[in-house]
Amino acid sequence: MSETSYAVLGMFDSPDALMQAIPKVRATNLGTVEAYTPYPIHGIEEALGLRRSPLGGMVLVMGILGAITAFGFEYWISAIDYPIITGGKAANSWEAFIPIMFEVTVLFATFTAGLGMLLLLNKLPLFGHPVLSSKSITGITRDRYALALEAESDAFDSAAAARALQEAGAVEVEVLPAPERSPFLTSDFILRTLGGIFAACVVSGLAMFFGTKWFPLLPPMRHIEDQPRLNAQKASAFFKDGHGMQLPVPGTVARGYLPTATGTQEQAASLVNPLPRTKEVFTLGHKVYSNRCEVCHGALANGVGSLTAAYGGKPANLQAQQFRDYPDGEIYWAIVNGKNAMPSHAPYLTDQERWAVVHYVRALQRAQNAKDEDLKVVAP
Amino acid sequence: MSQNKNNSTTMIWGAVALGALGVLGTYATAGLERFWANWVLWFVLMFTLGLGSLFIVALEHLVSAKWSVPVRRIPERIATLLLPAIPVGLFALCALPVLYPGSRPEAAHHPILAGKAFWLSLPFFSVRTLIALGLCTLGLAVLVGGSLKQDITKDPRFNLRARKFAPAFMAIFALVITLVAFDWISGLTPEWYSDIFGVYVFAGAFLSGLAATTLSLLYLQDRGRLEGVRGDHLYNLGGFLFAFTVFWSYIGFAQYMLMWYANLPDEVIYYKVRLAGSWRAITISLAVLHFILPFFALVTRDSKKDPKRLRRVAYLMLGAHVLDMYWLIFPVLGGQPHFSWPELSFALFFLGGIVLWIRGAMQKGEDMPIGDPFLREGLEFRL
Repeated sequence: MSETSYAVLGMFDSPDALMQAIPKVRATNLGTVEAYTPYPIHGIEEALGLRRSPLGGMVLVMGILGAITAFGFEYWISAIDYPIITGGKAANSWEAFIPIMFEVTVLFATFTAGLGMLLLLNKLPLFGHPVLSSKSITGITRDRYALALEAESDAFDSAAAARALQEAGAVEVEVLPAPERSPFLTSDFILRTLGGIFAACVVSGLAMFFGTKWFPLLPPMRHIEDQPRLNAQKASAFFKDGHGMQLPVPGTVARGYLPTATGTQEQAASLVNPLPRTKEVFTLGHKVYSNRCEVCHGALANGVGSLTAAYGGKPANLQAQQFRDYPDGEIYWAIVNGKNAMPSHAPYLTDQERWAVVHYVRALQRAQNAKDEDLKVVAP
Repeated sequence: MSQNKNNSTTMIWGAVALGALGVLGTYATAGLERFWANWVLWFVLMFTLGLGSLFIVALEHLVSAKWSVPVRRIPERIATLLLPAIPVGLFALCALPVLYPGSRPEAAHHPILAGKAFWLSLPFFSVRTLIALGLCTLGLAVLVGGSLKQDITKDPRFNLRARKFAPAFMAIFALVITLVAFDWISGLTPEWYSDIFGVYVFAGAFLSGLAATTLSLLYLQDRGRLEGVRGDHLYNLGGFLFAFTVFWSYIGFAQYMLMWYANLPDEVIYYKVRLAGSWRAITISLAVLHFILPFFALVTRDSKKDPKRLRRVAYLMLGAHVLDMYWLIFPVLGGQPHFSWPELSFALFFLGGIVLWIRGAMQKGEDMPIGDPFLREGLEFRL
């Protein structure tokens, strides 16, 4: 019969007898020596030669990894990806990161400790350990101490193992047959588990849906909505006019939209274009001009745009001497305040974009009135 | 051996005498504020060390711990340091008009201090200190005195009495350490307050008691005493040390972070002072010495029972506790950290005195509570 057994169990009546037998049985080198006792016995792990559990090291490494992960994540969010200044603190304030680093360290460490111990080191889930179906198990869980010689390969010799255990002083020996099915994790188990989780999700989802549908008087937790705060578009007794929303204080200016060129066009003549003549600025000016100006003033700024004929108006020919003589500030004034039939473009152009268009118009004017020197600049 | 011991005792006495000269010199030449700041520092250190050790004793009775019975005599002996702390503390009351703004006459015109005048006034402050010291003496008499008596009577009823007294003592302990922390340490800056401050000082006191206990245990073991105390007992002490470095930094950082976030002027000034100039270096080294170094030194399982490692960490913890209290008290002198011959003299004087006292206590009586019925169970303790 080539069929091998799982292990041979030798029973002992006292922990001392068990401890004395361990070195003798280990010396035979017949298989893995394992002990089953009703309670922990001091010193048995040294006697069995069990290696030091690597769990502590795993937990340390994962804990440090958790701290680093949390720090990196928070630093990236708060200082790089979406920096918002809250409470006047710098975006990369490490103090604010510490509590979350602490929590994530604990999270990583405990999960590593729990799952690492159960799944990796103890190889759970285990469905029915062979020793649990032995005849000796009633004694092991009560007042007897078992030493097992477990098979390491097909060459395991049950008879020799039984002899070795008896020589070591076992009062009783039991041969455990190899289990028919693997007691360890199988795909069948994984599928069932996933199915179970899915079923639980469906059941709880449906329960939530119908629960809130049939019992609408039990709303989910909505404390966050019940705040004594002012809501947009809602009435409020706080203000005299009963509105939650109030107009801004007169004179309020949106950040970055400080009104400019508020005087007359002549007064604006002294304004200086703050932008440098760089490629980026001309690119921006070109983009804004073709979106906003070109339909009327034309691609060449000669007052012939695609809409000019249909509209019947008379847009300014910016190539005319009058406009070429304009200082930058007066063109800027016209963009901000509008002129004649042209409306103000201030609402949707930023300060930068307006000045970029001024630069671009200057470039168009010069392109149509190029001098010989201009060619020399471009040629090399 | 005894020759060596006599030599070292003579040397310590010499150091104490030299330190005493320096202490007198400080009083005469270095200014009263500096003298009293040093004096309060060493009162607080003696007091926290003694009370922290008494807490270890009470903790054992509170939870009926068996493993610590064989080593209990050590914290009991260190806790007797509370006795010399009483005259030191009473003398420190003279520091009140010099160092403590709440006890100065100007306090009556200060809008915040005037409201706390009753609490901060000299008479009530002194009464509170007397009550605190008296309660400590009570705890010492019941827990340590009773335990010493049990050596002779072998009366197991002491354990029952101590177990009943321990919960009450824990309440007393919380009150006393909070009073001392609030009055003697944060009383230096009476506009500033922090609810957690007592717990912060408690964490330091417990750590210093544990470190002194560990050191004394190793000292006795080197001399072949405390037979039967093994790595398993050491491991528990090491585990406590390890855990409470984290506790101390948790409390210390929590206090800092809340104040940093809220950014209220009367609160952040405390840290503003301690993060300016050379104090900044001391603050950072406190975090390193009181948390990072001991944490990583004790993180592995073997290091918690390695006598060599434990001895170093215990010295480090005691030094870090001194630095911690220095960091709490000395900014009251204003400006940059003061460290020169007055501080060294005070350290020589008080440290020498503390070492002499504890060493003397270690020579008296039994090394273990031989009358305790749980002694054998404690000796058989295995992890």
